[in-house]
Amino acid sequence: MSIQYLKDAVANNDFEKLIRYLRLHLGDGNEAAGRKEIEKAWVEALKLLLDVPPTDRAFILETLERKDAATLAHLFFYLHFYFVKRSGEWIHDGTL
Amino acid sequence: MTAHSNEAQQMRPGLWETINERYPGSMITKDDLVPLAHLSKPLSEARLTFVSSAGVQPRGTMPFDVAHPIGDYSFRRVPSNSSPAGLEIHQIKYPTNGAHRDLNVIFPIERLQELAVAGVVGGLTPNFFSFIGYQMDPARFERTLAEEIAEAVVAERADAALLCPA
Repeated sequence: MSIQYLKDAVANNDFEKLIRYLRLHLGDGNEAAGRKEIEKAWVEALKLLLDVPPTDRAFILETLERKDAATLAHLFFYLHFYFVKRSGEWIHDGTL
Repeated sequence: MTAHSNEAQQMRPGLWETINERYPGSMITKDDLVPLAHLSKPLSEARLTFVSSAGVQPRGTMPFDVAHPIGDYSFRRVPSNSSPAGLEIHQIKYPTNGAHRDLNVIFPIERLQELAVAGVVGGLTPNFFSFIGYQMDPARFERTLAEEIAEAVVAERADAALLCPA
Protein backbone atom coordinates (compact mmCIF):
# COMPACT_ATOMS: atom_id res chain seq x y z
CA MET A 1 0.00 0.00 0.00
CA SER A 2 1.49 3.29 -1.07
CA ILE A 3 0.81 6.67 0.43
CA GLN A 4 -0.94 7.55 -2.81
CA TYR A 5 -3.13 4.47 -2.37
CA LEU A 6 -4.17 5.77 1.06
CA LYS A 7 -4.64 9.33 -0.17
CA ASP A 8 -6.87 8.08 -2.95
CA ALA A 9 -8.84 6.10 -0.38
CA VAL A 10 -9.29 9.26 1.67
CA ALA A 11 -10.33 11.22 -1.42
CA ASN A 12 -12.85 8.53 -2.31
CA ASN A 13 -14.04 8.15 1.26
CA ASP A 14 -13.12 4.47 1.02
CA PHE A 15 -13.41 3.47 4.64
CA GLU A 16 -12.69 -0.22 4.02
CA LYS A 17 -9.26 0.44 2.50
CA LEU A 18 -8.31 2.77 5.33
CA ILE A 19 -9.44 0.51 8.17
CA ARG A 20 -7.72 -2.45 6.52
CA TYR A 21 -4.48 -0.49 6.51
CA LEU A 22 -4.94 0.35 10.18
CA ARG A 23 -5.65 -3.25 11.11
CA LEU A 24 -2.57 -4.38 9.23
CA HIS A 25 -0.44 -1.71 10.90
CA LEU A 26 -1.68 -2.44 14.41
CA GLY A 27 -1.66 -6.19 13.85
CA ASP A 28 1.84 -6.34 12.39
CA GLY A 29 0.55 -7.45 9.02
CA ASN A 30 -2.27 -9.64 10.31
CA GLU A 31 -5.65 -8.02 9.74
CA ALA A 32 -7.53 -10.23 12.20
CA ALA A 33 -4.92 -9.57 14.86
CA GLY A 34 -5.15 -5.85 14.18
CA ARG A 35 -8.89 -5.87 14.75
CA LYS A 36 -8.34 -7.60 18.06
CA GLU A 37 -5.60 -5.17 19.01
CA ILE A 38 -7.92 -2.19 18.47
CA GLU A 39 -10.57 -3.81 20.65
CA LYS A 40 -7.98 -4.77 23.25
CA ALA A 41 -6.83 -1.17 23.63
CA TRP A 42 -10.38 0.06 24.13
CA VAL A 43 -11.20 -2.66 26.66
CA GLU A 44 -8.06 -1.82 28.62
CA ALA A 45 -9.06 1.84 28.72
CA LEU A 46 -12.58 0.92 29.81
CA LYS A 47 -11.29 -1.28 32.63
CA LEU A 48 -9.38 1.66 34.10
CA LEU A 49 -12.51 3.80 34.33
CA LEU A 50 -15.06 1.32 35.68
CA ASP A 51 -14.73 2.64 39.24
CA VAL A 52 -14.85 6.23 38.01
CA PRO A 53 -11.50 7.25 39.55
CA PRO A 54 -10.60 10.95 39.62
CA THR A 55 -8.94 11.97 36.39
CA ASP A 56 -7.28 15.16 35.20
CA ARG A 57 -10.04 16.46 32.96
CA ALA A 58 -8.57 19.95 32.92
CA PHE A 59 -5.44 18.48 31.32
CA ILE A 60 -7.54 16.55 28.81
CA LEU A 61 -9.65 19.53 27.80
CA GLU A 62 -6.65 21.85 27.67
CA THR A 63 -4.74 19.37 25.51
CA LEU A 64 -7.66 19.00 23.12
CA GLU A 65 -8.05 22.75 22.87
CA ARG A 66 -4.41 23.75 22.56
CA LYS A 67 -2.83 21.01 20.49
CA ASP A 68 -3.24 20.66 16.75
CA ALA A 69 -5.18 17.80 15.24
CA ALA A 70 -2.08 16.07 13.86
CA THR A 71 -0.45 16.00 17.29
CA LEU A 72 -3.65 14.61 18.78
CA ALA A 73 -3.80 11.98 16.05
CA HIS A 74 -0.23 11.03 16.85
CA LEU A 75 -1.12 10.85 20.54
CA PHE A 76 -4.05 8.61 19.63
CA PHE A 77 -1.64 6.05 18.17
CA TYR A 78 0.60 6.29 21.21
CA LEU A 79 -2.37 5.74 23.47
CA HIS A 80 -3.33 2.66 21.49
CA PHE A 81 0.05 1.07 22.08
CA TYR A 82 0.10 2.26 25.70
CA PHE A 83 -3.12 0.43 26.50
CA VAL A 84 -2.18 -2.63 24.49
CA LYS A 85 1.02 -2.82 26.51
CA ARG A 86 -0.90 -2.40 29.76
CA SER A 87 -3.08 -5.35 28.81
CA GLY A 88 -0.05 -7.60 29.23
CA GLU A 89 -0.60 -9.18 25.84
CA TRP A 90 2.01 -7.71 23.54
CA ILE A 91 2.06 -9.27 20.09
CA HIS A 92 4.75 -7.09 18.57
CA ASP A 93 8.32 -8.24 18.17
CA GLY A 94 9.84 -5.00 19.41
CA THR A 95 8.88 -2.35 21.93
CA LEU A 96 7.94 1.32 21.73
CA MET B 1 -28.91 10.82 10.20
CA THR B 2 -29.73 14.29 8.94
CA ALA B 3 -30.49 17.30 11.08
CA HIS B 4 -34.08 17.16 9.88
CA SER B 5 -34.60 13.54 10.86
CA ASN B 6 -32.94 14.28 14.20
CA GLU B 7 -35.66 16.76 14.91
CA ALA B 8 -38.48 14.51 13.77
CA GLN B 9 -37.20 11.50 15.66
CA GLN B 10 -35.69 12.28 19.02
CA MET B 11 -34.92 8.65 19.90
CA ARG B 12 -33.43 6.02 17.61
CA PRO B 13 -35.74 3.12 16.68
CA GLY B 14 -35.52 0.20 19.09
CA LEU B 15 -33.41 2.10 21.59
CA TRP B 16 -35.76 1.82 24.52
CA GLU B 17 -36.95 -1.74 23.78
CA THR B 18 -33.43 -3.15 23.72
CA ILE B 19 -31.78 -1.14 26.46
CA ASN B 20 -31.70 -3.98 28.99
CA GLU B 21 -30.22 -6.29 26.39
CA ARG B 22 -27.52 -3.82 25.41
CA TYR B 23 -26.80 -2.41 28.86
CA PRO B 24 -27.52 -5.23 31.33
CA GLY B 25 -28.20 -3.94 34.82
CA SER B 26 -28.64 -0.33 33.83
CA MET B 27 -32.41 -0.44 34.13
CA ILE B 28 -33.27 -0.89 37.78
CA THR B 29 -36.38 -1.55 39.77
CA LYS B 30 -36.63 -0.50 43.39
CA ASP B 31 -38.83 -1.70 46.21
CA ASP B 32 -37.59 0.77 48.83
CA LEU B 33 -39.04 3.88 47.29
CA VAL B 34 -39.16 7.01 49.37
CA PRO B 35 -42.80 8.16 49.30
CA LEU B 36 -43.45 11.50 47.65
CA ALA B 37 -43.77 14.34 50.15
CA HIS B 38 -47.06 16.22 50.22
CA LEU B 39 -46.94 19.91 49.45
CA SER B 40 -47.36 21.73 52.75
CA LYS B 41 -48.53 25.03 51.29
CA PRO B 42 -50.29 26.32 48.18
CA LEU B 43 -48.16 26.23 45.05
CA SER B 44 -48.51 30.00 44.81
CA GLU B 45 -46.64 30.24 48.08
CA ALA B 46 -44.16 27.46 47.43
CA ARG B 47 -40.52 27.91 46.50
CA LEU B 48 -39.86 25.72 43.47
CA THR B 49 -36.62 24.14 42.37
CA PHE B 50 -35.84 22.36 39.13
CA VAL B 51 -33.75 19.20 38.75
CA SER B 52 -32.89 18.15 35.22
CA SER B 53 -30.81 15.48 33.52
CA ALA B 54 -30.47 17.66 30.43
CA GLY B 55 -26.77 18.35 30.90
CA VAL B 56 -27.30 22.12 30.97
CA GLN B 57 -24.72 24.25 32.71
CA PRO B 58 -23.50 27.84 32.97
CA ARG B 59 -21.07 28.75 30.21
CA GLY B 60 -17.48 28.55 31.35
CA THR B 61 -17.96 25.81 33.93
CA MET B 62 -16.26 22.43 33.49
CA PRO B 63 -18.22 20.66 30.74
CA PHE B 64 -20.01 17.48 31.70
CA ASP B 65 -17.91 14.44 30.85
CA VAL B 66 -19.91 13.02 27.99
CA ALA B 67 -16.96 10.89 26.84
CA HIS B 68 -16.71 8.84 30.02
CA PRO B 69 -17.84 5.24 29.43
CA ILE B 70 -19.44 4.90 32.88
CA GLY B 71 -20.90 8.37 33.27
CA ASP B 72 -20.37 11.71 34.96
CA TYR B 73 -21.58 11.70 38.57
CA SER B 74 -21.30 15.42 39.11
CA PHE B 75 -23.95 18.09 38.92
CA ARG B 76 -23.97 21.79 38.19
CA ARG B 77 -25.80 24.58 39.92
CA VAL B 78 -27.63 26.71 37.40
CA PRO B 79 -28.66 30.10 38.82
CA SER B 80 -32.42 30.30 38.41
CA ASN B 81 -32.17 33.86 37.11
CA SER B 82 -29.92 32.76 34.23
CA SER B 83 -30.78 33.58 30.65
CA PRO B 84 -30.44 30.81 28.05
CA ALA B 85 -27.60 32.76 26.45
CA GLY B 86 -25.57 32.22 29.59
CA LEU B 87 -26.07 28.46 29.51
CA GLU B 88 -24.85 25.61 27.36
CA ILE B 89 -25.78 21.98 26.93
CA HIS B 90 -23.49 18.97 26.76
CA GLN B 91 -25.01 15.73 25.48
CA ILE B 92 -23.96 13.20 22.88
CA LYS B 93 -26.64 10.58 23.45
CA TYR B 94 -29.54 12.46 21.90
CA PRO B 95 -30.00 15.26 19.38
CA THR B 96 -29.66 18.77 20.75
CA ASN B 97 -30.73 20.67 17.64
CA GLY B 98 -33.89 21.91 19.30
CA ALA B 99 -32.11 22.85 22.51
CA HIS B 100 -29.60 24.94 20.58
CA ARG B 101 -32.47 26.89 19.01
CA ASP B 102 -34.38 27.30 22.26
CA LEU B 103 -32.98 25.81 25.46
CA ASN B 104 -36.42 26.02 27.04
CA VAL B 105 -37.57 22.96 25.09
CA ILE B 106 -35.51 20.79 27.42
CA PHE B 107 -34.58 23.13 30.25
CA PRO B 108 -37.56 25.49 30.61
CA ILE B 109 -35.83 28.10 32.72
CA GLU B 110 -37.63 31.09 31.20
CA ARG B 111 -41.01 29.42 31.57
CA LEU B 112 -40.30 28.82 35.26
CA GLN B 113 -39.16 32.43 35.68
CA GLU B 114 -42.45 33.52 34.09
CA LEU B 115 -44.45 31.31 36.45
CA ALA B 116 -42.69 32.92 39.38
CA VAL B 117 -43.33 36.45 38.10
CA ALA B 118 -46.99 35.60 37.49
CA GLY B 119 -47.32 34.23 41.00
CA VAL B 120 -48.28 30.75 39.89
CA VAL B 121 -45.43 29.57 42.09
CA GLY B 122 -44.28 31.45 45.14
CA GLY B 123 -40.71 31.74 43.95
CA LEU B 124 -37.67 29.90 42.71
CA THR B 125 -34.68 28.59 44.59
CA PRO B 126 -31.52 30.59 43.87
CA ASN B 127 -30.18 27.64 41.87
CA PHE B 128 -31.52 24.86 39.75
CA PHE B 129 -29.66 21.57 39.34
CA SER B 130 -28.48 19.76 36.27
CA PHE B 131 -26.57 16.59 35.42
CA ILE B 132 -26.24 14.24 32.45
CA GLY B 133 -28.46 11.21 32.20
CA TYR B 134 -25.86 8.73 30.96
CA GLN B 135 -25.09 6.96 34.24
CA MET B 136 -24.23 3.27 33.93
CA ASP B 137 -23.71 2.58 37.63
CA PRO B 138 -27.12 2.99 39.28
CA ALA B 139 -25.79 2.25 42.77
CA ARG B 140 -23.12 4.93 42.44
CA PHE B 141 -25.71 7.31 41.02
CA GLU B 142 -27.97 6.83 44.02
CA ARG B 143 -25.11 6.94 46.54
CA THR B 144 -23.44 10.06 45.20
CA LEU B 145 -25.23 12.25 42.70
CA ALA B 146 -28.80 11.71 43.88
CA GLU B 147 -27.86 12.22 47.53
CA GLU B 148 -25.80 15.32 46.76
CA ILE B 149 -28.55 16.92 44.74
CA ALA B 150 -31.12 16.07 47.43
CA GLU B 151 -28.94 17.76 50.04
CA ALA B 152 -28.47 20.79 47.80
CA VAL B 153 -32.21 21.05 47.20
CA VAL B 154 -32.87 20.95 50.95
CA ALA B 155 -30.16 23.57 51.54
CA GLU B 156 -31.92 25.92 49.12
CA ARG B 157 -35.14 25.51 51.13
CA ALA B 158 -37.22 24.24 48.26
CA ASP B 159 -40.87 23.43 49.00
CA ALA B 160 -41.32 21.60 45.72
CA ALA B 161 -39.05 20.12 43.08
CA LEU B 162 -39.79 19.74 39.41
CA LEU B 163 -37.90 16.69 38.14
CA CYS B 164 -37.34 16.52 34.43
CA PRO B 165 -35.61 13.62 32.66
CA ALA B 166 -34.10 14.61 29.35
